[in-house]
Amino acid sequence: MDTGPLYLEPRLAPRLGALLGSAPFLHMLVDALGSPLGVLLPDQIAENAEGFRSVYRRHRLGGQVFFAHKANRSRSLVRRLTTADAAVDVASLGELRHALGDGFTADRIMATGPKDPAFLWLAARSGVTVNADGPGELEALAGLVRRHDLPRPKVLLRLCGFETSGPRMLSRRSRFGTSVKALGPLLDLLERHRDSLDPVGVAYHLDTTSPDEKAIALEGCLRAMDDLRLRGFQPRAVDIGGGFGVGYLAHAAQWDRYTSELAAAVMGRRPPLTWGGHGYGLHAEGGTLRGALSLYPAHRPVAGAGYLDALLSQPAPTLGRPLGTLLLESLYDLYTEPGRALADQCGLSLARVLEVRHRDAGPAFVRLAMNANDVSLEDHGILMDPVLVPRDGEPAGPQEPVGVHLMGNLCLEADLVTRRTVFLPRLPRPGDLLGFANTAGYCMDFSATRAQQQPVARKVAVREGPGGSAWRWCLDEEYWPIEEYRPITDSGGRA
Amino acid sequence: MRYDSITEAIGNTPLVRIDPAVHGLRRIDLYAKLEMLNPFGSVKDRAAWNMARAGLPGARERGETVVELSSGNTAKALAVIAGMHGLSFKSVTNRMRIPEVKDLLLLLGAEIEELPGRSECLDPTDTEDPLTLFHQRLNQSGNAHLHTDQYFNALNTEAHETGTGPEIVADLDGRAPDWFLACVGTAGSSTGVARALRAHDPAVRVIGLVGEKSDFIPGIRNIDEVHEVGLFDPATYDTIESVSADDAIDGMLTLVRRCGILAGPTGGAAYRGTVRHLKPIDAELTGPDRRSAVFIVCDRVESYLGYVKQRRPELLGRPPARNSVTALTDTEVRAAQVIEVAEAQKWLAAERPLVIDLRSSFAYAALHIDGSVNIVDELFDELVRGGLPFGKRQPVLLACPVGEQSARYAALLTRMGHPDVRSLAGGIIAWRDAGAPLVRD
Repeated sequence: MDTGPLYLEPRLAPRLGALLGSAPFLHMLVDALGSPLGVLLPDQIAENAEGFRSVYRRHRLGGQVFFAHKANRSRSLVRRLTTADAAVDVASLGELRHALGDGFTADRIMATGPKDPAFLWLAARSGVTVNADGPGELEALAGLVRRHDLPRPKVLLRLCGFETSGPRMLSRRSRFGTSVKALGPLLDLLERHRDSLDPVGVAYHLDTTSPDEKAIALEGCLRAMDDLRLRGFQPRAVDIGGGFGVGYLAHAAQWDRYTSELAAAVMGRRPPLTWGGHGYGLHAEGGTLRGALSLYPAHRPVAGAGYLDALLSQPAPTLGRPLGTLLLESLYDLYTEPGRALADQCGLSLARVLEVRHRDAGPAFVRLAMNANDVSLEDHGILMDPVLVPRDGEPAGPQEPVGVHLMGNLCLEADLVTRRTVFLPRLPRPGDLLGFANTAGYCMDFSATRAQQQPVARKVAVREGPGGSAWRWCLDEEYWPIEEYRPITDSGGRA
Repeated sequence: MRYDSITEAIGNTPLVRIDPAVHGLRRIDLYAKLEMLNPFGSVKDRAAWNMARAGLPGARERGETVVELSSGNTAKALAVIAGMHGLSFKSVTNRMRIPEVKDLLLLLGAEIEELPGRSECLDPTDTEDPLTLFHQRLNQSGNAHLHTDQYFNALNTEAHETGTGPEIVADLDGRAPDWFLACVGTAGSSTGVARALRAHDPAVRVIGLVGEKSDFIPGIRNIDEVHEVGLFDPATYDTIESVSADDAIDGMLTLVRRCGILAGPTGGAAYRGTVRHLKPIDAELTGPDRRSAVFIVCDRVESYLGYVKQRRPELLGRPPARNSVTALTDTEVRAAQVIEVAEAQKWLAAERPLVIDLRSSFAYAALHIDGSVNIVDELFDELVRGGLPFGKRQPVLLACPVGEQSARYAALLTRMGHPDVRSLAGGIIAWRDAGAPLVRD
């Protein structure tokens, strides 16, 4: 049995690490704007987009990297991306209006996800590409185009249910897309609506970490492109969605050790590691471990742009050549939709410590001015330690590692910021901040609500001053990717 | 040795002494139990036969399919056994990462279903893991399956308790070894052998070897995964130690190159784990008494060449070929003759050079320059190794997607003495973007 503190230290890129080291600055922000607070690093997302672009270049591929906007509601991230070599995919009318209003032109926007008529109308009206889920959506779109005399929209066909010969790869069921087996009728539909719809390619998005399943889907898309061509269309792009992953933790060994100890705890071989002995999907049955770990694989040696690179380098299951080579040789553009991976290291969620309550037995409770919805690590199965940001510098005397439970600000038994017993290098004090690192992808505001009228986190965008000098900040919605106060030269009316 | 059926050849495998000059232990005799010499190639033959045997006649009567969750050797043995008895076999697994084994199973007539990978976005509506769903489907009434259930079936352990274990004792002249070491997969062989040996001599030390968590060694579970096995009981082992993929390959190399034992990585892992465990013990031993230790070599090397190639390509390295694009200097590549799309079109009309499209046949079939010949780069690469594949008086235009690869080949052919090879600048993509015609015929 392992009795030491089970740390799960977050992986910190230099920019986010430097920000977390700037305690007075972070305290100043929370003093002014309240807890919880979301802090965004727009320059990082531009850097991440460049990382994806370099993979495109390595494989000589053209196309677009679409930021999946639903990963974060931030305006600064979207505005910063307008000046990078990137595009945006929007999953609602609100996100589309936001993208258009914040500087993206229609040629760099794609509409994805379930769509209502207003969303479809604005997409077609403004000329963005529509990633269509199935025949119903295509019919609806064609109808709108004809009734309202709209420009002929570019459409991608989202496909699913790919199969390969030989070993059968079972796929997780999905509610989205059209089965490739039903591609024929879909193409008939497109032929009927040749005047109102312009099919520019096909798409898939699979919710899996397995590159093998994605390779099968990508090859299936290449074959579907051929079918489009046989019907006389000129498709150009294959959209392989996202799901390239993020490595959240700094150390593989900590993750390995933690998950082993969790299994041992579920088997009753050590004290629980979670509130109420929760097993994160695992349970013991007659001396055997059953179930599956429903946690995000938080340490991932290959993630993000590296995952894309590996996928493109992988041979196609039946065509044999690397998938990237096949795309290039077939003269197709590659579309990707990384959400989480593009927002990697782009944000931080801060919470103030309100109370530290000692108990007779078991870990102390640390009550935060934040709830589980403000940093939805638990919803996404991400286990990661918060970083302690002290208020008055480190206290004197020796520091003892402690395990604590993080309580939220809602009057609900279920409101634990995480069900895990969290280990910290010392006991926090009221007034300290806990910084949840790397939350910009899905964890910062995806589930945030005004339950019990607790404040929803405000957001600020920060950037380092010139030459690494002091941090500068503004409200997220006040951020524009331009130099703030360029002198305006008054020519006095002369030419 | 004359048998009426191949299944009679299961078991009675040799126990071979490893040369002390190889392992370096002074007072311990080390023996390998060569389970790789079972007729279907692995230790799993025993378990597969023992688990399936009794149920086969009934299964045949009812037209059942033999089903097992297996990534390799058990599936291999069961597929053969099922086939011999006129039954079909289906393997369901999320662990099958060895392509050669996959292909062999297909050859044997098996049906393989691979379970999906983990969810990238946690889905709270996904209440059951794939394995649980598999068991639920299997247990529904009316399903015609013979599920051998190797991770929970006591007949798996029994095959080793009555076979492998007693064979070891017999070959050691009626004595149990002082140490028995085995990699833990289903835990069947280690548990069964341990029981037999301990019945003979309770002082036997049993060491279980598991894989390191972030690593992958085919056939071995890691320290967490063993808990998912019904046959696994931590009390069976005096110690559980972990081995890495590097250990497995190092050990395999020693067995293959120095002992003439063509073992796979699992056997290599067992050998390395054994020597590592025994080294410090051996150093402490004094006196004239010799001790003995046995480890299991569970299967053969042939299926794992891809595994080795991926992790230690240098072990399978070949010298660079003559006439290879990899031998070109940057200067040579830059000096290659390139031709822009518009010029190329004029040249084609005037002199009708041979146009070679280096892309895959899949891409070529979809769209290509009219009259071009498709020689896929891999094939072209092999062709030019032996010399120029066309006469020197024949002008040639090489085309690839963006004009990089074709420039390299143009440089190579120039170096080989061809006077007029050109590379299409910007490749087929530039050709398309310039609006030049592409055909599908």
